[in-house]
Amino acid sequence: MNNAYLTYAAKRLGQAVVVILLAYVFTFVVVSILPGDPITSVLRNPQNGFSEQEIAEIIAAQGLDKPIVVQLWNALSGFLTGDLGISMRSGRPVVTLIAEVLPSTLILASAGLAVALVLAMVVAYGTRFVPKRYGQGLLRGFPSLFLSVPNFVIGLVLIHVFGFQIGLFRVINPDSFWATLFAAIALGIPVSAQIAEVLIANLDREAEQEYAAVARSRGIGPARLFATHLLKPASLPVVTVVALTIGELLGGSLITETVFGRTGVGSLVQRSVSTQDLPVLQAVVSLGAVVFVLVNLIADLLYPLLDPRVKLLGGSKRRPTTTDEASIGTTKVATP
Amino acid sequence: MTERSSLFSLSRRRLLITTSVAAAAGAIATATGFNPALAADTPRDGGDITFLIDSLGDTWIPNNSAISSFQGHIWGHVTDKLLYVDADGKVSPWLAERWEQNDQATEFTLYLKNGVTFSDGSPLDASAVVANLDIWYAGRKNEGINPIGLFPKTYDHAEAIDASTVKVHFKKPTLGFIPTLGYHGSILISPKSIAQPASQQADLSKTSGSGPYVVDSWKEGDFVKLVKRKDYKWGPAAVGHTGPAFLDSITYKLVSEPSLRVASVQSNQADIAYNASPQELKSLKDEGFTIATPRYLGFVNGWAVNTKLAPYDDVKVRQALQAGINRQEIIDTVYTPDWKLATSFIQSNVPGATDQSGLLAYDPQKAEKLLDEAGWAKGADGIRTKDGKQLSLTIHSNPYLATSKSVDELIAQQLGKIGWKVTIRAYDVVTFGEKVRFGGAAVPAYEVTRSFIDAGTVASILTNANNGENWFALDDRDATLNGLRDRIAGAASFDERNPLLDELQHYVLEQGYFIPRTQIVQRIYVQSPTLRGEVYNGVAYASYYTAHIVD
Repeated sequence: MNNAYLTYAAKRLGQAVVVILLAYVFTFVVVSILPGDPITSVLRNPQNGFSEQEIAEIIAAQGLDKPIVVQLWNALSGFLTGDLGISMRSGRPVVTLIAEVLPSTLILASAGLAVALVLAMVVAYGTRFVPKRYGQGLLRGFPSLFLSVPNFVIGLVLIHVFGFQIGLFRVINPDSFWATLFAAIALGIPVSAQIAEVLIANLDREAEQEYAAVARSRGIGPARLFATHLLKPASLPVVTVVALTIGELLGGSLITETVFGRTGVGSLVQRSVSTQDLPVLQAVVSLGAVVFVLVNLIADLLYPLLDPRVKLLGGSKRRPTTTDEASIGTTKVATP
Repeated sequence: MTERSSLFSLSRRRLLITTSVAAAAGAIATATGFNPALAADTPRDGGDITFLIDSLGDTWIPNNSAISSFQGHIWGHVTDKLLYVDADGKVSPWLAERWEQNDQATEFTLYLKNGVTFSDGSPLDASAVVANLDIWYAGRKNEGINPIGLFPKTYDHAEAIDASTVKVHFKKPTLGFIPTLGYHGSILISPKSIAQPASQQADLSKTSGSGPYVVDSWKEGDFVKLVKRKDYKWGPAAVGHTGPAFLDSITYKLVSEPSLRVASVQSNQADIAYNASPQELKSLKDEGFTIATPRYLGFVNGWAVNTKLAPYDDVKVRQALQAGINRQEIIDTVYTPDWKLATSFIQSNVPGATDQSGLLAYDPQKAEKLLDEAGWAKGADGIRTKDGKQLSLTIHSNPYLATSKSVDELIAQQLGKIGWKVTIRAYDVVTFGEKVRFGGAAVPAYEVTRSFIDAGTVASILTNANNGENWFALDDRDATLNGLRDRIAGAASFDERNPLLDELQHYVLEQGYFIPRTQIVQRIYVQSPTLRGEVYNGVAYASYYTAHIVD
């Protein structure tokens, strides 16, 4: 068992490293073949009044006249040694730019995840305890509703009601407690949908298991049944969904940050895309890949430890998303 | 106003602010023997304001960012200039107390104000000015520090005669040099900051100017907080105040969503919202907000026509285009009365601009007659054709101007009535640059929004002389235009140059090379009624150096 687990862990780790490297190369290629050349589009701005020779000199000074393969090699070796280069747009080191925005996004994303988990729990718990005639069906519809309302709409409504009308927070101070809380709610609502969906499906399934029927026949109340018998087995697949949700959180933070006037990784990406700031984009996308891969790696490594029924199939087959195949279709995976 | 106050009357936060402000005011009154009679005349010291802006641009390397529409706001408070150029293009002394020039306009002597210092403590003396002139002209290209494109290419060198006298030499007559010093990129930076490598210059907090405010803190793409410099006493006389600023701090905060910027000012969470949509302005004005739509010195919004592309190689077609646009309708429909009719291809506040309204009158009959004469006959579908080809115009809406597409749609209707088939294409900024701005040989008309320093530079931008931009793709084909260009460039006095500029404006519009749409308002300010006394300069940037809060 121990040996098998180590082999499994090593294979998964190897896979993770390959995925990160591939993500790096892929981003480089995609950004490089995009139409438009960021440097020359700035230099050719008539207001700068550069001659063609001056433009050529500047491009050469930045090493952008070299073949794309050489540029990729230089970027990749820099990446592996922790040197992420200089932002084309701002002229500042990419590491500094990322260090400035990362804390805000980490806070928002973890608060968003916490909101999503609490919401999902409340909805799932509700579906077990709210009787059918008092709106259980309505509760079961919540995940689809949460998923279908775009998070910028939620954000704008929250800002107008709680920010402008009630005055709980100010757009000028988006890192304050209330502003962060409402941003986390806007971000967490769509994310909670997937978690709630899986949780509800698993609770339903567990409730029909023999052990639950036995427990009920012994006169255990629904609350105790939920807490002591159903919740743990039903929660295991949630670990997987949460890991997959990281992508959703990172993607959603871009929109949430824009709406709430927060400056984080999302707004950095947005500015870098609009100016084709290759070194920054490269670094941020790679960072996203690293986070995504790491979180999933942790989930993969934890899963066999949490649930001995999971077979260690090496890296060849992913862990089950949920033991109930039918509910897989309801989870949505977003790319970072 | 009443509706607004009732809506927010329940706000606890607002109540708190009101009481604390009242308490603070009370404290000041007792401590300083505050005299209410004086309050009307002397602006009150103190106060912090928030300015919501849609972007904070790309970089803070001073040379690369000083001409940006976004960073310009901050540089205007952190740095000073040698001369002041007001909204009417009038040049007056600032850090240069006076100046002289020789008869050929090739040598200029600047006499500097004494006792001015940068915020890092170094003196703003002749050698500091020379260091600035040199980097404005040449930049440090291998490091990614650009020259300032607007700075005269005819610059030769500058020398410090003594601590407060600078002599500047040019290779050719450069009448525009003096106004250049009060404009855009010509911001004075401490020599210590200039000596820093680009990556340090890109850190706003490491750059020192001599302005009334200094950078307190900033975060890229988020905010910039400026605080007042208490020992400042060298403001431009033209704004009527030379001592320290009144407001304690100004915070520029990035909020990219336009409705949030305006709603924040409406709910008293911020003091100024930049770039609101023109449609909202009337109701905001009715609610009591101050609306400012200053124009800058530059070209009007309009099209530079590509004369190489058929059928726009035909002067009659171009003239029909000129007469076929109803400019008043654009203002009435898309904009507000704050927008002015174009009277030339340069804005009417530019010194040297003349009124050419006669050439810009809406005259659909004349346009139809010109097109008939040019051989474009109206078909059954209302579209004109010639040799089996339709009379078509493809417009690329300017992505930098939010209202551009609405204006395009209106013009498409107007031209449609006289037989034009107009297609509108909208690209994002990057694609627009790629397909329209820099390589658009197949683009019949390129939409211009540009400010410039001095009307004298216009002639060479229009042609291809001295790396000029050759806007109408005329190359060397138009001897009249080239002749005007050379005479304008060589003029040594404004008396000699102004009639030539008038001739140039008449000629370019009469030939239909440039098709004006409206005078451009690119900066729209929605401001809280409690903030007063701001000043708009020649590039339409608001300066809060003279601003103060009224109770």
